[in-house]
Amino acid sequence: MNLLPKKIGNFFGLIYEQMFDFCFLMVYNRDMISEEKLKILTESAKYDVSCSSSGSARKNAGGMGNGYVAGCCHSFTPDGRCVSLLKILLSNDCIYNCKYCPNRLDADVPRATATADEICQLTIDFYKRNYIEGLFLSSAVYKNPDYTMEQLLLVVKKLRTEYGFHGYIHLKGIPRADERMMTEAARFVDRMSYNVELPSEKSLKLLAPQKSKESLLTPMKTLATQTERFREEKRKGFVKGYFLPAGQTTQMIIGASPEADGHILRLTNALYQKNGLKRVYYSSYVPVVRDKSLPEVGAGQLREHRLYQADWLLRFYGFSVEEIVEENENLSMEFDPKCAWALRNMHLFPVEINRAPLETLLRVPGIGAKNAYKIIEARKYTKLTFEDLTKMRVALKRAKHFITCNGKFFGAKNEHAVRGLLTAAETQESAEQLNVFGMLSTPQNALIALHGQL
Amino acid sequence: MVYVFDGTKIGFLTALLIAFSDPVAIVTSKQTQIPLGMTVMQVHNDPVRAKKAEERLFSFDPDCLFDLDRLLRSGMQNNEQLAFRYLRFIAQEKRPVSKRLANPDVFAAVECIKKVGLEIHKMHGFIRFMETASGALYAPFSPDNDICDLILPHFRARLPQFPFVLHDVKRKKAAVYDGTSTFVAPLAQADVLLSADELGWQSLWKEYYGAVNIPSRKRLKQMRGYMPQRYWKFLPERQESPPDL
Repeated sequence: MNLLPKKIGNFFGLIYEQMFDFCFLMVYNRDMISEEKLKILTESAKYDVSCSSSGSARKNAGGMGNGYVAGCCHSFTPDGRCVSLLKILLSNDCIYNCKYCPNRLDADVPRATATADEICQLTIDFYKRNYIEGLFLSSAVYKNPDYTMEQLLLVVKKLRTEYGFHGYIHLKGIPRADERMMTEAARFVDRMSYNVELPSEKSLKLLAPQKSKESLLTPMKTLATQTERFREEKRKGFVKGYFLPAGQTTQMIIGASPEADGHILRLTNALYQKNGLKRVYYSSYVPVVRDKSLPEVGAGQLREHRLYQADWLLRFYGFSVEEIVEENENLSMEFDPKCAWALRNMHLFPVEINRAPLETLLRVPGIGAKNAYKIIEARKYTKLTFEDLTKMRVALKRAKHFITCNGKFFGAKNEHAVRGLLTAAETQESAEQLNVFGMLSTPQNALIALHGQL
Repeated sequence: MVYVFDGTKIGFLTALLIAFSDPVAIVTSKQTQIPLGMTVMQVHNDPVRAKKAEERLFSFDPDCLFDLDRLLRSGMQNNEQLAFRYLRFIAQEKRPVSKRLANPDVFAAVECIKKVGLEIHKMHGFIRFMETASGALYAPFSPDNDICDLILPHFRARLPQFPFVLHDVKRKKAAVYDGTSTFVAPLAQADVLLSADELGWQSLWKEYYGAVNIPSRKRLKQMRGYMPQRYWKFLPERQESPPDL
């Protein structure tokens, strides 16, 4: 201990002096969840797509924790995914029998239900050690929707008030539960999500007969209106506190039902425009359960990937859904949606990198939002050449066919050649991705696969 | 000529003034191999001139002192040389240059500054506290850049009731929050007595980490990209040779 300088020596000295007092006080924590229960409830929740912890600037008001607007990843699992929130179900004991779900009533899987204190203590102790950024709490519907929602509400209320936790909480809403509980929960959590599940009413009727489009969309709309009203009143100083500071998200399964990408993206667009959602998550269907109403093969990760690319174009690149894909058509598997759009609109290209406005640069295949901003700034000081772009690490493999640098063009001679070269580039990339995607569709993983989507 | 300074801001600013018009200047504070035919000059700190230089630089670009701080904290081998070329360029141009990314000196410096900022953000996530018997939290880590005092405010804001120590074991120093105030102090080694529950929570965390993974989607390259292996020895979930590797 002599290695320590005086100030720190004292600091740790304190630990030593108090050690004996504390040893008598420390009893094994009664609310520590068992490893087995934690395993069952995590495995049931892990296929849930969302793990984002961004968007909330909740302040620490005594107790522990605060929001981190940019979001924060605390670890990464060997599947390459980020661990940000403690993603867990309160219970996986479900009364519903959705055909695609491994935790449906008929399924023979181990069941567990945690107590509110078990979840709260786990969150607190993980958060204190900086393992997580907060809690993502979801649940199977047990007993009935109202009872389930009541239990979820109890957990988040307890966590905020009794445990003094101000970190991030994402709560998954239970459709058909009393609206008042939903509204109350929204005062305590940072984000809520009701999952659309399937892209049309017809598919819901077939695969998840206990749910309906209306039972999923109504809570979303109500929350959107309430959030709006709350913010207005907060601005005027009539109310204090929070109401879903990080907004709402939703998730849908792709490929379990016959809807085309064009249909899906129009639904997405409406959710963004009308319900003010922050994110729509897509999850490609994996055949877990054999049923004549379900397809034999999964949708594949490439389709999911393309939908996300199109989603980004809608939100960050100023594209309208009509420009991306026709209502009853699917996205091209061969080209990413921006590339496909550019190939349909070759008359607009090439654009001059030193003159094109931001909106135009954002539409060049291969140039992302960050690079577009970089170019706009850098070109104020010098006329950018092809070499300059390389030095600035702007990827030009695709972009070079659509731009000129100082009037010079470095791409392929005609549209036909461009298509050929782009296909080659894309295949190479997709091959790497598909290599990874190919591993997904083993049935044994798929076993628990879809539960999280509930 | 090679200009060797003591690694401090004052030392650097003095070196900047002395080496300003030397076209082949190398500015460093590290033990580097001297290129053949180069002479070495030991820079003696001149706080008065350094202060003046700082004020001038601030008048050209109010952000550049922040940039300088980040550059001097960088763990890169040539960080001081990058800082020299970048700040000299600002002084020559008499205005901010950080957006002129087509200039290789600017690009290199901006990338270096970004890396330090990125590691601060990453450490907000990868710090792992252990609970000691007194209730204070202790986190050893070994960052690439000298940032332990820069990550402290984040934890102070969210854990105001817990005294904690962020121990940079590589640089043998620690950023400390004692429950009321914060300070940085040299710290070679800390003997820590863990709380009775600590190992229990660590083992639950490992259980969780194992359960939340999807084994069939093995993307180790991606995992390593986001969470470089050199950080693993302080992460309970990756300390013991995990079965997936």
